[in-house]
Amino acid sequence: MIAWTGRKTVEGVAYAADVLFLGYLAFKELFSPARRGRHEALRTIARQVLFTGVDALPVVGALALMLGLIVIIQAGLALPQVGAGELLAHIVVVALVRELGPLLTAFIVVWRSGTAMCTELGNMRVGQEIDGLEAMGISVVRFLVMPRMVGAIVAIICLTVYFDLVAVVGGFLVAKVKLTVPFAVYLAGIEDALSIADVVITIVKSALFGLTIAVICCHHGLAVAGSTTEVPQQNSRAMLNTVAACLVLDIIVSVSFYA
Amino acid sequence: MADAGEAVIVLDRVSASEGILAHLEDVSFTVRRGEAVALVGANRSGKGLALKLCAGLETPVAGSVRVLGVDPAAASDEEILHLRQRVGFVFAKPALVSNMSLYNNVALPLRYHTALPEAAVQEKVMACLAECGVELFHDHLPGGLAMGHARLAALARALVVEPDILFVDEVLVGLDAADLVRFRGILEKHGQRGLTIVVSINAPTALFAFMDRLALMRDGRLVAVCPPAEVARVDDPMVREFFGNN
Repeated sequence: MIAWTGRKTVEGVAYAADVLFLGYLAFKELFSPARRGRHEALRTIARQVLFTGVDALPVVGALALMLGLIVIIQAGLALPQVGAGELLAHIVVVALVRELGPLLTAFIVVWRSGTAMCTELGNMRVGQEIDGLEAMGISVVRFLVMPRMVGAIVAIICLTVYFDLVAVVGGFLVAKVKLTVPFAVYLAGIEDALSIADVVITIVKSALFGLTIAVICCHHGLAVAGSTTEVPQQNSRAMLNTVAACLVLDIIVSVSFYA
Repeated sequence: MADAGEAVIVLDRVSASEGILAHLEDVSFTVRRGEAVALVGANRSGKGLALKLCAGLETPVAGSVRVLGVDPAAASDEEILHLRQRVGFVFAKPALVSNMSLYNNVALPLRYHTALPEAAVQEKVMACLAECGVELFHDHLPGGLAMGHARLAALARALVVEPDILFVDEVLVGLDAADLVRFRGILEKHGQRGLTIVVSINAPTALFAFMDRLALMRDGRLVAVCPPAEVARVDDPMVREFFGNN
């Protein structure tokens, strides 16, 4: 048992070091003055933003609307019963804007784009495409990882803002059939409850989630050694580890800024 | 022509391993500028690993490798990057980027390593695709192509940067008779301009006639290095089996 714990700890530390190192290399490439591959990198970033961000708008919008409706209905009906009806906007800001918005958007991005990144890179490894890039002197980090990281960060920030807007405004408009609170009063309450710090922290959180998703999923895709059977295995590891990492990051950020 | 050139690849008592897939033991040989050399042997004879070592894509566990004067195992990142730009490698699988058209695949090394304007890139890329007979498919993704066409496109990508050395792993894979004739024509044309060519081959082929030397390999060892015309003199069971009565 002790040996197993020790081995798992060493493996965990080595894994974290590998992922952090890949993130460092990708981040370093972002500020590299070299012009090499800039055109291709921009093309990949645009594709990533399109797939991760624009293509995900319907599913994120639908989820945001339903979740906003649930939270606002529950809070809007329960709070007046305990004489705290004026706290509706605060509850919405705390639950939706601070926590559920960034976290659920991150989960959708993991589910759609993280798995796609891992599968694509894994298949590229199997097809010797990555060997081909390395043989041509093309940096895999610069050509494959950095653009996906930037694309994921940009897309997830935009998606989170979109999620929050749809959940807070759309959710209330749908919930209005059951609530007596006027829309103007609700909006004034949201304006009062929402601080600049909330917006900044939400964006920072989203950026960290985007970075984490891209780096962990790319790491697992590149970890495929050469067999197609490894691709789904790495994919499921990537999903589990990314979700866990996002939750840990969320706790760290929330505790650091709000506790 | 061969002996007069400088040594561009030197393997000195090299041993290397790819697990159970292949290994090399104490292999030494030299390739000179402008030579065409074929590493010949059955599957798992170590020729593919030897080819990757020659290209600086693998590092040996013992011995030393020098490619264009650079020891890849001891070179800096900048030296490796420079070396990669002087070497073209065609893998057994086409290894083209699957989400890019053939045109963009062939343009990739030019866009990445040079500051050529897009018009010049287009001219070079289309010329290379035409030379390799796949210009009709320039806007196709590699996945939809026959293996032979995809490998010819991979050859175009390797040649577009005008390398000093061209490596081709498993030349015969996926090529039909017409592709093979075209492949040989391209190698001959670039060989005449001084390109050093190193290929691996796992079955007897008419391509041997184009080679200056054959390096015959068995079980990770170099059995003999000789001109094609002298293969019959090599006294080795693998060579007799490989070449039969011819």
